[in-house]
Amino acid sequence: MPREAEPSLNERAFVVQALQEGLRLDGRAFDQFRGLDLKFGDHYGVADVTLGKTRVLANVSAEVTAPYIDRPFDGIFTITTELSPMASPAFEVNRPTETEVLLSRLLEKTVRRSNALDTESLCLIAGQKCWSIRVDLHVLSHDGNLIDGSCLAVVAALRHFRRPDTSIEGETLTVYTPAEREPVPLSWLHSPFCITFSFYGEEGEIMLLDATLLEEQLRVSSCIISLNKHGEICQIAKLGGTPVEAVSLIQCASAALTKGKELSTLLDQKLAEDSKRRDKGGLLAELSAENER
Amino acid sequence: MPLDTSTYDLALLRVDGRRWNELRRLDGQIRTQAAADGSSYLEMGNTKVMCVVSGPSEDKRRGQTSASTATGSNAADVAVSVVVAGFSSVDRKKRGRGDKRIQELQTTISKALASNLHTHLYPRSTISISLNVLSQDGSLLAALINASTLALIDAGIPMTDYLVACTAGSTSSYAANDDRADPLVDLNNQEEQELPFLTMATLGATDKVAVLVCESRVQVSRLEGMMAAAADACKGVRDFLDQVIREKGHKMVTEGTIEKGASMAIEIDA
Amino acid sequence: MASTQQQHLLLSPAELAYLHITLSQQPPIRADGRTATQFRPLTAETGILPGTNGSARVCFADGTEAVVGIKAEVERTRKQGIDYAKQRRPRNKQKQQQKKIAEEEVEVGDGESEDGDEEGAVHEPTGDSDWVKMTVEIPGLRDDDSGTVFLATMLSEALLADGEFAKKLWINRRFHWKLYLDIILISSPLSYPLPLLSLTTHLALLATRLPRLKSEADEDPMFDDDWAASQFIYPRQGDDNTSPSTSGTRPPITLLVMAVGDNIIFDPSKEELAVADSALAVSVGETTGDADGAVDVDEEGKASRNLRLLSVRTIDPPSRLTAPGIPNAVNAAAWGQGAVVAKDPGARAAETDEVEGVWKAPRGGAKIAVLGAMVAKVLEKGGVADEVLEGLYGVELG
Repeated sequence: MPREAEPSLNERAFVVQALQEGLRLDGRAFDQFRGLDLKFGDHYGVADVTLGKTRVLANVSAEVTAPYIDRPFDGIFTITTELSPMASPAFEVNRPTETEVLLSRLLEKTVRRSNALDTESLCLIAGQKCWSIRVDLHVLSHDGNLIDGSCLAVVAALRHFRRPDTSIEGETLTVYTPAEREPVPLSWLHSPFCITFSFYGEEGEIMLLDATLLEEQLRVSSCIISLNKHGEICQIAKLGGTPVEAVSLIQCASAALTKGKELSTLLDQKLAEDSKRRDKGGLLAELSAENER
Repeated sequence: MPLDTSTYDLALLRVDGRRWNELRRLDGQIRTQAAADGSSYLEMGNTKVMCVVSGPSEDKRRGQTSASTATGSNAADVAVSVVVAGFSSVDRKKRGRGDKRIQELQTTISKALASNLHTHLYPRSTISISLNVLSQDGSLLAALINASTLALIDAGIPMTDYLVACTAGSTSSYAANDDRADPLVDLNNQEEQELPFLTMATLGATDKVAVLVCESRVQVSRLEGMMAAAADACKGVRDFLDQVIREKGHKMVTEGTIEKGASMAIEIDA
Repeated sequence: MASTQQQHLLLSPAELAYLHITLSQQPPIRADGRTATQFRPLTAETGILPGTNGSARVCFADGTEAVVGIKAEVERTRKQGIDYAKQRRPRNKQKQQQKKIAEEEVEVGDGESEDGDEEGAVHEPTGDSDWVKMTVEIPGLRDDDSGTVFLATMLSEALLADGEFAKKLWINRRFHWKLYLDIILISSPLSYPLPLLSLTTHLALLATRLPRLKSEADEDPMFDDDWAASQFIYPRQGDDNTSPSTSGTRPPITLLVMAVGDNIIFDPSKEELAVADSALAVSVGETTGDADGAVDVDEEGKASRNLRLLSVRTIDPPSRLTAPGIPNAVNAAAWGQGAVVAKDPGARAAETDEVEGVWKAPRGGAKIAVLGAMVAKVLEKGGVADEVLEGLYGVELG
């Protein structure tokens, strides 16, 4: 199984020395994100996030199915991540690497366990029928900071998604196609975002946001903080690595809050733009009785 | 301790009678397994964990994937395997080896120990740590880390300092910005299910954080209090572990070391 | 992920020859001075896990260690189409089934009387084996590894062989106990772990208690909250609430027996297994005395129990594995592959001929007579199996 090429000793020394002098390889500030772009697809529920050279695509789909036996009042919500060799030669299909396991666990904790999506609203007939929402995450290109990009893509896709409308008369459940009835958005409670901090130096005293792949390979430890714009932390994960002063981590948390609010405004803005775009030529226009003449 | 019907505010005592900064009953033993290089048994309240260490030994899997640390292949590999017994929780539940939650635990412990142990002294070798969870009652990751530290010391693998861990929680709910909310230390299972909590591992008695894991929703402003409480508790745990090691060392010196092959009786408190 | 590998014990030809020769003497001379039927000392304790219905931990002298925890849950019996109404018998013996920690509230019918009563809650065989679930965890091996699965099968087969055990789990027509046995090997598998796991399971079963049943007939089972009122699944002799004749059934044990030449040797260490001619795993159970109270009270607890053979399985001892460093010319497993004409034509002959003072790996099978003798030796009255069962019975239940 091929491994990622490790940075050479020269590269390693150069990058670390530059960081100690306050310089980053691509000239960014230590707490600056790369160019972040968020695009929505034509179908509802497709979100494409570009973070520098990292590109992630999230796709949401829904189907009606039976709920879990031990949770008859909840719908089913799953996030699947599969890293394919398209993103990096180190990834193999069906062989989860450590990166993949961590990514899927982080998304699970950030989006699923924090109840960003109200699963009770997905229930149709208790114990028999419910919606199963499935988010498929595809990593198209890996240049560092998969986690932040993936989380944003997942949240954006879920907020963008519209599921078919349903109605229940007595025992029969009717699911309407988009042509019959306008699809409805999901019941969304809060929007969590992940921010990854990378640490460098003997004591982990240098802190970077949004590391590129090269910077990721050279870091001595990392901390991923997920929170929403209200300042609620959904999860923190500093999984080993060089020990870092507790004070630094507290500072990270407040930095994360600022960044999270920025991401939240960005997402709201993009969603508004997209719905305006759809409205212009979309179904809503057709539904109206006005015509152009 | 339920949030709504909490009696905490009345007497400032938790359900099991502890105050906010009291740890549960700690019990630790080392050299419990005669045939292993290092072994330990740790109880934090009702959480019971056994650890067996073998190594450093010859690395048979070289050339394949290795944890991409900055040190590359000039350091020993720390391979951790966690087995949670089916009978460890109140309901019997079999957990497969491929469970992602368990894999995450393994990765966390492995990375934390790799930065603490002097792995550069053993290039091209593997240190295998095998953890068995016999009973779970909260603070699982913390107990696993503490037990690993004990077993590694028993195996004689050099390290910078004790790697100790503890959990800390908060009595506030995630939405409230409650300044009166108290941090709590060393949560049991019931408290973990109802309150936000985090697990923190520090390097000995310093304030350097090696591991910080929080999986529940909590206000940012509560974070500092929880971390400070956890750091204090970790100091207490470090003193306890140190005492366990020193007592055993004293016994070994006065009574003579026990050879491999002789049967050993350890007391596991019921 | 932890790479604990089974190490092939590396013994030199001189050591192998020495072991084989000394073990073939009459009487056999063992490296640690034991007799052929003497067991090594072991440490055993029960009741180590208060969260389980029964638990035990056994450490062998060579450092191997195992822990077993047993939990029970009430489960609804799927109807098998058998008229259970006929199976009510007047209770001569108090055989009450108990349940897990007292949160459950299930009514349980009368425990049926056991002990030779054929009609007492007859279950379909499939129902029986389903009520007991055994899992084995060996460090370093996957769950679906053939070695692990084989061990679990052997252990559960011994337990369910006589069909009596599953009857203890019957509550009433609608409910039964589902018993989960989780066996964990703590040390790495240095030597064949079967006897250790079997003894630990045996002890854990002896220590297992189920809550006392309070409800009647076929109602939803209801149990006594008081754990002190719970009763052992294998009732102990001298208990107030068991009459003499139900005591006497014990869980089975599996012993490892090996043969070298004409000698039969028990509790072999891994060095001794390396020169074994053949090895067997013999599962032995105990039957009760005569049916329905005809057992003389004085007879109980005597050394002679009614031992019953439950299963015999052959084990491949390490002596039959090819040791590392053997060239293909003399490695029987490689003969016939490829057109390698032995550079040394005498090699093949050297491999198969008997040479005085040199140990060669055993070829072919074991004689039936030897196998028969091994099994008979295990079942001997007052012999090894008896001693082991006595010893385990004497362990204080925590």
